[in-house]
Amino acid sequence: MSRFEESAPARGGFSYDLCKRNEMLMQKGLKPSSYLKTGTTIVGLVFQDGVILGADTRATEGPIVADKNCEKIHYMAPNIYCCGAGTAADTEAVTDMVSSQLKLHRFHTGRESRVVTALTLLKSHLFSYQGHVSAALVLGGVDVTGPHLHTIYPHGSTDTLPFATMGSGSLAAMAIFESKYREGLTRDEGVKLVAEAICSGIFNDLGSGSNVDVCVITKGKREYLRNYMLPNPRTYVSEKGYSFSKKTEVLLTKITPLRELVEVIEGGDAMEE
Amino acid sequence: MGDSQYSFSLTTFSPSGKLVQIEHALTAVGSGQTSLGIKAVNGVVIATEKKLPSILVDETSVQKIQSLTPNIGVVYSGMGPDSRVLVRKSRKQAEQYYRLYKEPIPVTQLVRETATVMQEFTQSGGVRPFGVSLLVAGYDDKGPQLYQVDPSGSYFSWKASAMGKNVSNAKAFLEKRYTEDMELDDAVHTAILTLKEGFEGQISGKNIEIGVIDSKRIFKVLSPSEVEDYLQEVE
Repeated sequence: MSRFEESAPARGGFSYDLCKRNEMLMQKGLKPSSYLKTGTTIVGLVFQDGVILGADTRATEGPIVADKNCEKIHYMAPNIYCCGAGTAADTEAVTDMVSSQLKLHRFHTGRESRVVTALTLLKSHLFSYQGHVSAALVLGGVDVTGPHLHTIYPHGSTDTLPFATMGSGSLAAMAIFESKYREGLTRDEGVKLVAEAICSGIFNDLGSGSNVDVCVITKGKREYLRNYMLPNPRTYVSEKGYSFSKKTEVLLTKITPLRELVEVIEGGDAMEE
Repeated sequence: MGDSQYSFSLTTFSPSGKLVQIEHALTAVGSGQTSLGIKAVNGVVIATEKKLPSILVDETSVQKIQSLTPNIGVVYSGMGPDSRVLVRKSRKQAEQYYRLYKEPIPVTQLVRETATVMQEFTQSGGVRPFGVSLLVAGYDDKGPQLYQVDPSGSYFSWKASAMGKNVSNAKAFLEKRYTEDMELDDAVHTAILTLKEGFEGQISGKNIEIGVIDSKRIFKVLSPSEVEDYLQEVE
């Protein structure tokens, strides 16, 4: 019998119950399952009218590129976006969850979400999982109190910075920022600098590659520039095409639809007393 | 009436087959301020009286019509605090549905889930039924929809409905005035006229509240000045 589950803080957090068993299994030779990491270069900077976020688009699974054009800039609120590095599933799940919580909060308060609210929700979640949720985030947005940029580490610590980089390509990108960043950049200068920093990560770090995504957030407006730059186009495509050797037999393929249409049952919604 | 011996306990049927507590809840609704809803061809309008207990109350702080999702709004008749709890739960349910299916919740689903909550409170120990009836107005892929949910948890889809103090007069008025091909603006005018029927005192933008949703699928509560404009048109 479900009672009124109040919106009290969830009793979540990392559960240590299975740690001993896992260690025992590892000693016996069980290999841990592989997961999709994002490698990644993600950056953010504050310019005169707001915040610009940038990210590369390569997702890696060990030495293999799993996704050549994934989206690393996640929506949190109409005025807040978040770049994610680390385990792709973790960044997506955690940003999705906090985005949902922010939406409910907006309904209850009737106000625009603030960046510090997103920050606190993210960091308390990550801290309660003791770093096992492998999500390193660059959170940026503009709210009533002004433009804000924060970095969040998997263990739950945060920094507030005018420019920030995260991910395996962070050092390459930070080199660009440290030499060229200054306060009061215009929008075009800021976007150019962010694109440069991401390109530096793309070309100098193996874990980052493919294209550049940029997101510009200003008061009351945001522009999500997906694939702003494509510095790695596919250069050579064989014109001859591919053909099978004569020894292979290609059977006829026929696709049979299992069911033509979805049947809609009329009048299924009204309640019967 | 032999019922009175069974009227204290929610979870006991009376000999006549009724749950008397739910009847009492409906009475609480019936003594609440009048509210109504009308479904038009291209949208839905819901409206309510906003009579404040004293002139000293800051009317800008009171909002009876709330939105549950960007395309679904709700108004109540009965106990305000009970409606607040239901609104909070419904919003959370709508959000959970979205997280699971990545689709905005259809109006019928949200109504069903809210009605389920209200029914649970008629079959649990130590709780009482909600003392509100809700009118849920929404616009989704099936078009404009209007549902009424009662304290028992039963819900119906309506073309036009009213609840609260003036329910019989208002419903009679709506039955006469309602047409199938009504447009949203006509519906707003009809809603205002219906409220005016049983209104004590001078009607103005400050003591009624109107919420509309049109084919753009954004639910909006009209500001007092917008309500005044409609009132002028009606006169």
